[in-house]
Amino acid sequence: MTSIFALPDVGEGLTEAEIVRWLVAPGDTLTLNQIIVEIETAKAAVELPSPYAGVVTELFAEPGATVAVGSPLIAIDAGDAVVQPTAEIGPEIGAEGPDGRITTLVGYGPRTATMTRRPRKPLAVAPAAEDQASVPLAKPPVRKLAKELGIDLSTVLGSGNGGVITREDVRRAATEPIADPGQRREPVRGMRKATAAAVVSSAFTAPHVTMFLTVDVTAMMQLRARLAGRPVFRGVKLTPLTFTARALCLAVRRTPEVNASWDQASGEIVYFDYVHLGIAADTPRGLVVPKIRHAERMSLHELALALEELASAARDGSTAPGDMLGGTITITNVGVFGIDTGTPILNPGESAILALGAIREQPWVVDGAVVPRQVCQLALSVDHRVVDGAQGSRFLSDIGALLTDPALAFTF
Amino acid sequence: MPPRKRAPSRSSPGAKPVGSPIVGQPTVGPIVEPLAGPIVGTAMEVDGPHNPQQVIAGLRATSEGEDLVQLLTPEGQRVSHPRFDLEISAADIQAFYRDMVLVRRLDREANVLQRQGQLGLWAPLLGQEAAQIGAGRAMAPQDMAFPSYREHGVAWCRGVNPTELFGIFRGIDQGSWDPHSTGFQLYAVVVGTQCLHATGYAMGQRLDGKIGNAETGEATICFFGDGATSQGDVHEAFVWAAVYDAPVVFFCQNNQWAISASLDHQTRVPLYRRARGYGFPGIRVDGNDVLAVFAVTQWALRECRTGNGPVLIEACTYRMDAHTTSDDPTRYRLADELEEWKLKDPVERVRVHLVREGLAQPEFFAGVANEADELARRLRDYCMSMPVPGPERIFSNIYAEASPSIDAARADYLAYHASFVEDERR
Amino acid sequence: MSGTGGPQTITLAKGLNQGLRAAMEANPRVIVMGEDIGKLGGVFRITDGLQKDFGEQRVLDTPLGESGIIGTAVGLALRGYRPVCEIQFDGFIYPAFDQIVTQLARFHYRSQGKLRMPVVVRVPHGGGIGAVEHHSESPESYFAHTPGIKVVACANAVDAYWMIQQAIACDDPVIFFEPKRRYWEKAALDLTSAPPPLFSSQLVRSGTTATVVAYGPMVRTVLDAATIAEQDGQQLEVIDLRTLSPLDLAPVFDSVRRTGRLICVSEAPGEASLIGELAARVSQECFYSLEAPVLRVTGFDTPYPPAKCEEDYLPDVDRILDAVDRALGY
Repeated sequence: MTSIFALPDVGEGLTEAEIVRWLVAPGDTLTLNQIIVEIETAKAAVELPSPYAGVVTELFAEPGATVAVGSPLIAIDAGDAVVQPTAEIGPEIGAEGPDGRITTLVGYGPRTATMTRRPRKPLAVAPAAEDQASVPLAKPPVRKLAKELGIDLSTVLGSGNGGVITREDVRRAATEPIADPGQRREPVRGMRKATAAAVVSSAFTAPHVTMFLTVDVTAMMQLRARLAGRPVFRGVKLTPLTFTARALCLAVRRTPEVNASWDQASGEIVYFDYVHLGIAADTPRGLVVPKIRHAERMSLHELALALEELASAARDGSTAPGDMLGGTITITNVGVFGIDTGTPILNPGESAILALGAIREQPWVVDGAVVPRQVCQLALSVDHRVVDGAQGSRFLSDIGALLTDPALAFTF
Repeated sequence: MPPRKRAPSRSSPGAKPVGSPIVGQPTVGPIVEPLAGPIVGTAMEVDGPHNPQQVIAGLRATSEGEDLVQLLTPEGQRVSHPRFDLEISAADIQAFYRDMVLVRRLDREANVLQRQGQLGLWAPLLGQEAAQIGAGRAMAPQDMAFPSYREHGVAWCRGVNPTELFGIFRGIDQGSWDPHSTGFQLYAVVVGTQCLHATGYAMGQRLDGKIGNAETGEATICFFGDGATSQGDVHEAFVWAAVYDAPVVFFCQNNQWAISASLDHQTRVPLYRRARGYGFPGIRVDGNDVLAVFAVTQWALRECRTGNGPVLIEACTYRMDAHTTSDDPTRYRLADELEEWKLKDPVERVRVHLVREGLAQPEFFAGVANEADELARRLRDYCMSMPVPGPERIFSNIYAEASPSIDAARADYLAYHASFVEDERR
Repeated sequence: MSGTGGPQTITLAKGLNQGLRAAMEANPRVIVMGEDIGKLGGVFRITDGLQKDFGEQRVLDTPLGESGIIGTAVGLALRGYRPVCEIQFDGFIYPAFDQIVTQLARFHYRSQGKLRMPVVVRVPHGGGIGAVEHHSESPESYFAHTPGIKVVACANAVDAYWMIQQAIACDDPVIFFEPKRRYWEKAALDLTSAPPPLFSSQLVRSGTTATVVAYGPMVRTVLDAATIAEQDGQQLEVIDLRTLSPLDLAPVFDSVRRTGRLICVSEAPGEASLIGELAARVSQECFYSLEAPVLRVTGFDTPYPPAKCEEDYLPDVDRILDAVDRALGY
């Protein structure tokens, strides 16, 4: 095989040398370490010995020429006899590397400048930090501007990444009218801001239709009382919401359209095989909708546990960020506030949301007579692009039927 | 500046004649001048001639003079010496020959490897083999050597694998052998710095009570050149060693040159005589005579192990090659000088002696030559496949104790390093 | 300092050589001293030919002792000479540290001006030449931290030619750092063009995106980075500090007030370095202009590593541009 000997740096930082004279010619047979050329550097005249034994095939520079360190000097055909020692260091010294440069011992002599950047791997983008800062985030020039304009930075909402206050934010704050003493102003930030954005986006993107159904849930409440005494349900609270969640999961089987999502970007409707059930919860910080993942696989007991856990985490503010995402359908329990019903707004990305109203004792007709029963109202809002009237009605009516006569669950 | 005028010679009845050795005792027994004896009071001896030109000529003739200990002439003839005679077997002389041939070969191969771009630098010892082998073989296992950066021959004697020397010159480490197990400290690139270290180590040997027995005691030997003797640290080492009676042999290889500075740039007095100024014995030996070097160093080390240290040995030799592979000696010295010293070659005189006296057969020489070829091959193969340390080496072992800031810096850099797509540039 | 004719292309080493020659021709009290500088002409040939032309009385091959070189230079200066000392490599300056810091730096102050130290100490510094231990150091900060001496660093052949002459003409002691990995780099020297003052930093490339400050061997690397950055639409403004003590920061302040971002580059270990001083001063003077914190790209806080690791140790174009990106991310 042919090996190339490149000009090494022979004296601590030399960059080039002049060829004085060759002592060999193409065709000559060389022994290892035989002196092959005399060179002149800025410091000294030096003789170079051959690193290979073999036959000279080519000389790359003429006497009198100035050669840069790392440039090829001579090619030697070492035949088959040469056993190359395994080098873990990459290209063999003197060999041509993949970029066409002849390799000299790395670091010896000043390297010729690299004129391109080495390519970087794509960086994982860190999510923008939620604005929890106690000190307004503003760069010195922005602070100076705020000071000049008489703006208190703690009242300015930062529109930059991570809530950083920009010059524009300050200027805008400066042009706002001074507040009336009879008013209280609170900047919109954080969760309220996020929630506002979500409901606006949902309300004004998806055409909402809301359907109402009033149901007699006496049987469900009786079942609840019976089950509460059973060993497996001790230690966990069974609530109307538990039964509603279970009923919803069963009803989804007959009307999968409600467990889907309108994907505007790709022009598709996505139907989900699973039910990641969102439960709207009111917390001191505002509205959060944590999800119970794979609610469709859960038994009543498992749902009860999941709901309890979810409620306590939401109260503490300790819901994991992952549990806030990826829902497919939601229940909002307005009943706990004593409210009969409402017209719920869809969670963005979902196609149905069920509002569970308060359960009251109300007059109901049973077998022709008016008797007091446990009655509650259900309201279902759907995205009319995805769910049509018949589908929505069937879904709602199935939930109602299950809550009215829980034994019907056998048929789902 | 006008030439320096020297003080006129003052003699007194007790003054020693010019050129006689400072010490004139037989091989065994203590030296004449007691260490605690008066340094002032006797006549100030202005030894040697009076004008600089004569001094320089005198310095140049370093292989002659009554004070030069020599046991084997450049022509390979055994001569005797009243103080340092040596009884030595043929096998031992063969061993010295083999040592020097192999060390010379390793030196030449390394030099060539540098010219081929496999080493960044090499500091050649060509011409100084006898000085280093003679001293190295005089050491006992329990002794400690403090080298400069050229003592590849002493490293050889102490069992350091020559491949371990390459790491420094290839740029992958700063000395990889273990000083404690070899009795050979790491190379010192700052000139003369090792003399203080050696003195301190020797002070430790004395404090540990390892002094008292010529066979079993411990000693230290420190290697430096003629140039180093101008460094302040070396003089401070002499002071310390003297006042603490440190068991250290200061072994100066006077190879006549410190890069381009000839000996007269460093001194107006033969180097071995400096010891007297500090209060300990100085001996001049023919540094190209392995037998003489061995004999004198052995004596000096025994003196130290006994408790009579320190001792200065000036081994007069010659730097046949350049200071390092970055140097060009043709710019400052004449070819004639080199030719003259070739006649005093240390290896050749032993070869001639072995042949003339019938102390070795052709098979022996052939065997050594083969061994040398094999050594060169082994070194070449090793050199060409030395692994490159990763970037974490930069941060490794800066402190003995934990260092969170270094750990953080390392982590940051390795993360940055890993953020690049692999390409052929690294 | 004079010359005629059109520009000549010279290496940095040659620029120093010619500058020394010009200074010696101009003033007979200028003497040059150091190890191997006479007959050999210096291990980097900076003093090549000077002993032949000016004689052994003015170009001294000294014994091997750095403390001796600087200490005797102090004495020669007291005698009215203007010594130009060479320390052979950066890593060998430490035996002379005492003479520099306790004597060279203090005679003027001690004597309240009666005694002057017009001494220049030339020191090749920096890495990137694949050398063994102690030959690749960047000790500038120790000397910038010492009142009473001045410290400069040339980065190219033209500055080398003029700055060495200016340093020799300066009545204060000057530590003169020379970038050894750049000794063989060439530039066109136009002797008809007047040089800037010695203790001034210089804008060497105009831009708007960010300011990058460097000195000595890193200036070339920063300029290379700026060339690459231009391909990405970034216009880096580059300032060569040139003087490390006293610092000339007015151009730096002016630049940062326009660009709002500063990156400082130096080979020396960053901790407690003069780059930190620079960063602190800019933070103080340009506070209201800073769009990003001052970023520093320096050697690591480790001893200089074995040669095969030095590419990872030395700031290169990638690390410099990474810092520019980070500054722009604020």
